[in-house]
Amino acid sequence: MTGKYASLLWAGIFRKPGRTVLTVLQIVIAFGLFGVLQGLKSGVEIAIADARADLLDVRPKVGGSPLPLAYLDRIKALPGVKVVSLLNGFSATYQNPTQGLYTLAIDPNDKAWLTESPEIFKVSPASLNALAKSRTGALVSAELEKKYGWKIGDQIPLLSPTTLQENGSDVWTFNVVGTYTLHELGGSGGDMIVINNAYLDEARYQDRGTVQHFHVVTTDPRLAIAVADSIDHEFANSENETRTESYRESAQSQMQSIGDLNFTIRSIVGAVFMALLFSTATMTAQSIRERTVELAILKAVGFSDRAIFSLIAAESIVVWTVAAALGLLLATIAFPYAARMVPGISMPWVVVDIGLAIAVVIALASASIPALRAARLNVATALAGQ
Amino acid sequence: MTFVRQFAGLLRVNVLGLLERRSQALTLVLGVACAVGVLVSMLAMCVGARRHEMADVRTDRVVLMSVGAPDATQSSISKDQAASIGVLPDIRQAANHKPIAVAQLLVTMEARERSDGRRITFPLIGVTPGLRDLIPELHLTAGRMFTPGLNEMIASNLCARRFYGFNLGDKREIQGIDWVVVGRFDQGQGEEGCLVYADAGSAFAAFRRDSYNQVTVMLQSPKDYSDLQNAVAANPMLRVDAKRESQVIEEQYERFNGILFFTSYFVGTVMALGATLGAANSLYAIVDARRRELATLRAVGFRSGPIVASMLFEAELLAVLGALLGAALGRVFFNGLSASPFGFSFHLTVTLQLLVLGVAWALIIGLAAGLLPAVRAARMPVTAALRA
Repeated sequence: MTGKYASLLWAGIFRKPGRTVLTVLQIVIAFGLFGVLQGLKSGVEIAIADARADLLDVRPKVGGSPLPLAYLDRIKALPGVKVVSLLNGFSATYQNPTQGLYTLAIDPNDKAWLTESPEIFKVSPASLNALAKSRTGALVSAELEKKYGWKIGDQIPLLSPTTLQENGSDVWTFNVVGTYTLHELGGSGGDMIVINNAYLDEARYQDRGTVQHFHVVTTDPRLAIAVADSIDHEFANSENETRTESYRESAQSQMQSIGDLNFTIRSIVGAVFMALLFSTATMTAQSIRERTVELAILKAVGFSDRAIFSLIAAESIVVWTVAAALGLLLATIAFPYAARMVPGISMPWVVVDIGLAIAVVIALASASIPALRAARLNVATALAGQ
Repeated sequence: MTFVRQFAGLLRVNVLGLLERRSQALTLVLGVACAVGVLVSMLAMCVGARRHEMADVRTDRVVLMSVGAPDATQSSISKDQAASIGVLPDIRQAANHKPIAVAQLLVTMEARERSDGRRITFPLIGVTPGLRDLIPELHLTAGRMFTPGLNEMIASNLCARRFYGFNLGDKREIQGIDWVVVGRFDQGQGEEGCLVYADAGSAFAAFRRDSYNQVTVMLQSPKDYSDLQNAVAANPMLRVDAKRESQVIEEQYERFNGILFFTSYFVGTVMALGATLGAANSLYAIVDARRRELATLRAVGFRSGPIVASMLFEAELLAVLGALLGAALGRVFFNGLSASPFGFSFHLTVTLQLLVLGVAWALIIGLAAGLLPAVRAARMPVTAALRA
């Protein structure tokens, strides 16, 4: 029985192959566009929700002047603070001026790097230990090892015109002692190596005893706002005021602009689906008119009203879901190109689910009236009325 | 002659028949309307944004920044350099016979939005004397100008409306020092976000800085620009680029405008493709519904040429109708509406050029969609069609 239905379904769908292909392509394009636009919107929302609320970034309120290293202990003493890590660094180039590189300087004896801040990078205890033991050591990523052919034991000379050594030299040489892995969302695009802050601070000519920012993890995410305020309050009215913001807060403000496009995205998606709904409803209606005789014969040989209704509705649902799935697949493939302007977001699966649900709903909506008319067909008039 | 007669006759039949096939015709019109409406509205947003950005640009203003600096914050101009920029040739003189050359330093400050309490950062601009000669579109609406040497500032009205703490007499603490808001002003049309000016000397002292970020000068006439460039190049002490104000703003918004235009054309193209497929589908359906009629016409001597031409004309007619409907809807919904993507407001502007573009877009859709169905109609096998 199912086999018979399947072949009827198949015959119905490909009755006019040209028109079916055009309809399928139309749906594919609509869902491709829906997938990309909705994916951008949901991707941004997910990226914000995923950003940690309990990880705070403490940076100078006024750009340009770094924070005293001594702030570390004062922040640590504040209630609600679990760990504090320092982050320092400078920009350099490797071999030629177009190969930029950021050197991130950390305290390798700070074990919080192993567990508390995977947002920046992941590192093994062995690599962190190796960095702690080597003054001029550096950790590199697998991508950099591949790009420049670096391996453990290599010496890498970097040039930095802005950060000079005490002897006036602008060449900094590091030894590769281990590796780290970038967090998938932390990739800001640039290359980075991780070095020992003790060495940087001792060897540089300017800004000794300062760091660029601190990372604070709170004991409880709910305390994050209170802790951020108390840190800024601690250093208010000093020569080096701070500005503390959680990762979630900064994700929110960075992605605010895309969020503002919601209205536009909703209008476009709405327009696309309205046009499509109207178009397919008309197509199905015409197809039913053309098939009056066939349908009447089916009824005459014993198909129930319900069977006819289901047949027409099923044709529509099959076409829509297959085409929608193709469109969403296309969107998933195209998504990385469209999302270039928003680093760190990926196509969320929920968009595919929503898309398929929309496909079934519109398929039913566009097919129900023609299907109902087909089901109510009067056999005698349909066969005679030609 | 036969061609024209047959074409006219067929066209009349087609158009009169549209009422009978109204759902197919309406599908085509609506499909094109959606595609063109979205394209025109999105491009209107681009035009509006650009118009807003460029509203106050003057061709006689030139901005000087460090060589290669991508924006003012990454540029640094020493006091000596700023002094030698002031004596370059071709700079207009103010009423007091001093050259109109204003050096500026930018200091990041922070404010909270009134609407949602969000914190934003923007620059406090410390300026040397001559600001009002350089920016004649700046009008004080309340209070007075800041006094050189004091920690006073003036804020734009837009800033005061959107953010806390910019009313007259408000004290703002920056790095432990109080700054008082002594004046409020409007500055032209293109103003966005927050503009706050203070005396450069006070800012130098308060923020322990020793160089400016940029210098803006006013030329005697816009055509003196190349002379000024030559003079800058001839001075080995000046490692600066002189750019016209329009170019600086262009660079500032390059990424933003790029994203906006790309998105508009990307979405517009994809939707046009969808509309083309939909229109082709409708036209095929129309041809299918008219099989007998078309076969009869062919049997009585109508030739392929007029049939193809009349079908195409019908498709174009419906597409243009759709385009006008779409543009009208776009205009009704969006024109003059303050859109706020990317965090600042500007007006959507549906111009005549955009309407023309929309109609052109529709003509292409109509042609692409109509060609194959029209050919099929013209090739309708007479016997097969009449037998059915």
